[in-house]
Amino acid sequence: MANVRLIELTKHYKRGSEIIRALDGVTLDIERGEFVAVVGRSGSGKTTLLDLLGLLLKPTAGSLFIDDIDTSQLGDRQRAQMRARRVGFVFQEYNLLSGMNVLENVMLPLRYVKDGKASGKQRALELIERVGLTDRIKHRTTELSGGQMQRVAIARSMVNQPSLILLDEPTGAVDTETAQQLVDLLKRLNSEDQVTIVLVTHDLDLAGQARRQIKLKDGKVLTDEWLPEKELLPA
Amino acid sequence: MEIIRNVGRHKLRSFLTISGIVIGVLALTTMGALAENFNALIDGGVKYFGGSIQVGPPDGQAANLLPMSKIDEIKKVGGVEAAFPGYQFAAKPGGAIVVSFGIPDTIVAGDPDENNYSALKVTYAQGRPASASSHGEVALGSTIAHEFNKKVGDTIDLPVRPADAKPDFVNHSFTVVGVLNETKTAPDSFAYINIADGQMLLRDSLPASLQSSIDVTQITEGISVYGKPGSSLSNLDKIADRINSQVTGVKATKPSDLVNGFKSGGAIFTAITTAAALLALIIGGLSVVNTMFMSVAERVREIGLKKAVGATTFNVMGEFLLEATLIGLIGGLIGYGLGVLIVVARNTLFAPADGSTLFLITPALTIFAIGFATVLGAVAGVLPAWRAARLDPVIALRNE
Ligand SMILES: Nc1ncnc2c1ncn2[C@@H]1O[C@H](COP(=O)(O)OP(=O)(O)OP(=O)(O)O)[C@@H](O)[C@H]1O
Ligand SMILES: [Mg+2]
Repeated sequence: MANVRLIELTKHYKRGSEIIRALDGVTLDIERGEFVAVVGRSGSGKTTLLDLLGLLLKPTAGSLFIDDIDTSQLGDRQRAQMRARRVGFVFQEYNLLSGMNVLENVMLPLRYVKDGKASGKQRALELIERVGLTDRIKHRTTELSGGQMQRVAIARSMVNQPSLILLDEPTGAVDTETAQQLVDLLKRLNSEDQVTIVLVTHDLDLAGQARRQIKLKDGKVLTDEWLPEKELLPA
Repeated sequence: MEIIRNVGRHKLRSFLTISGIVIGVLALTTMGALAENFNALIDGGVKYFGGSIQVGPPDGQAANLLPMSKIDEIKKVGGVEAAFPGYQFAAKPGGAIVVSFGIPDTIVAGDPDENNYSALKVTYAQGRPASASSHGEVALGSTIAHEFNKKVGDTIDLPVRPADAKPDFVNHSFTVVGVLNETKTAPDSFAYINIADGQMLLRDSLPASLQSSIDVTQITEGISVYGKPGSSLSNLDKIADRINSQVTGVKATKPSDLVNGFKSGGAIFTAITTAAALLALIIGGLSVVNTMFMSVAERVREIGLKKAVGATTFNVMGEFLLEATLIGLIGGLIGYGLGVLIVVARNTLFAPADGSTLFLITPALTIFAIGFATVLGAVAGVLPAWRAARLDPVIALRNE
């Protein structure tokens, strides 16, 4: 079965008498190792979709399976465990903890899994090397550039070896060149580790580099297309 | 680690918050030490007066004296095992009256055998008790020995001559034959002499006109009566009633009356001092609540992120509770440390001339002061930690 399966997944908000259909009956499968770009206008439901996939939100209706697990059956503790073990999150605003250095930030998610720190530190060091920040390991995150901070966030999202990484406009706050470098890094991690990547972006050029592109409109899937093979090659 | 850093991140704020706890614990430690010292004195009194019946002249008699013959009458009362005469004199007569929580230096004349019956046993650091037969021997309590810097073999003039002594003031030279171990209560400031010497001092204290006409060997100031060793308070009370009904011209005070008096005095003192200190500490605790709420408010994003990477409500709550507890613990340790410093300084560096202690640090007080501060920190953290733990991660991550 698919890495992620959405069946009529729906999130509605009530504002007074008005119902906001932030996500409105989305059905799709994402296989393990896919690289999916999610695009759409502001307010189309991209972040809502990602928050649902990351178990930060509970759907109003429909179901969500991650690695064959029906997430609607999980209690709060189990949802937290799934967030810790199976899903990685990367945000536009990095959300690094300024009181900690690079290594400590990458190791943060280890804190919330059993025996995380024992085996996790080595992985954290390896990931920092793979994102090219070995020489910054003891630096405070406030001493890093935007692109570097996002690399730390990407390393952090992978430290517990999740099957799925969710990125909400990770390149929104960096220049085009840096954005391209980050996407190249993601492509590399995607092909090397077979980790599924769901990338929300406004940048159609970056989105065009994904194998699959899902376009949302008013909480619904407008288009869901696989892009031609030749554009998959890393730039 | 992270928790210590969080406390260290806002140095001034943490310093002020911890100071609040420090002041509270400091108050608690010093006030508590004051109360503990007072209670040790009272415990001695309870022990001493709870183990014997004090017999004195009846109400309304002017002179504070009893005929020696009453002792034999009392010994005939059922349940009485022993009865001893006794005399007490101010060791430093005429000195300025100093307000003190201690017991004034006192010369106590009695039978050394009485120690076999008394519930408050004295033991000797050096030497031995003043013997009943020889003249001019004294055994000093630890405080009084320290005050006058006397050890076994030294001599001391008693009563001590006041600076403004009248021309007819007399005192006598005593040889120190023993120094008592510290008891934290009355015997520490007592100088023990035998009965014959007590009678000599009694004669000195009488007006010149009476000195030759009264036979001091036939009178006593008071009588201490003992039942069987280990007699209960109610048993002694009954014996006191019997003495009052069977022996005329004396008044036996029920030991329970004395003991209750002591106990209620101690309880009130402890209650007042502890309440004042706890109040200070609770105000310190409120500042922890405030600090923790501020801390939660400015770390909303951090909380959202932690939840996104797998922290449970319980994890987040635990982290904030630990931080609040740490603030309490640090404040408790510093406050207690400062309190002990003050107590030690008062008891040693600025020891008063009479050598009395004012503060007593006990293990119970230590545990209470530090433990209370720590628990207070934890309790103060509950509400802020709860708010942190309940934050919706999606909203928290969109904060600012
Ligand atoms: N907590 C909420 N309460 C009410 N409405 C909400 C809430 N969160 C999102 N919405 C609404 O749901 C819709 C989808 O929002 P969402 O954040 O998913 O859009 P988006 O595609 O991520 O937009 P953007 O590109 O601006 O980030 C919007 O209309 C938004 O106003
Ligand atoms: Mg969005």
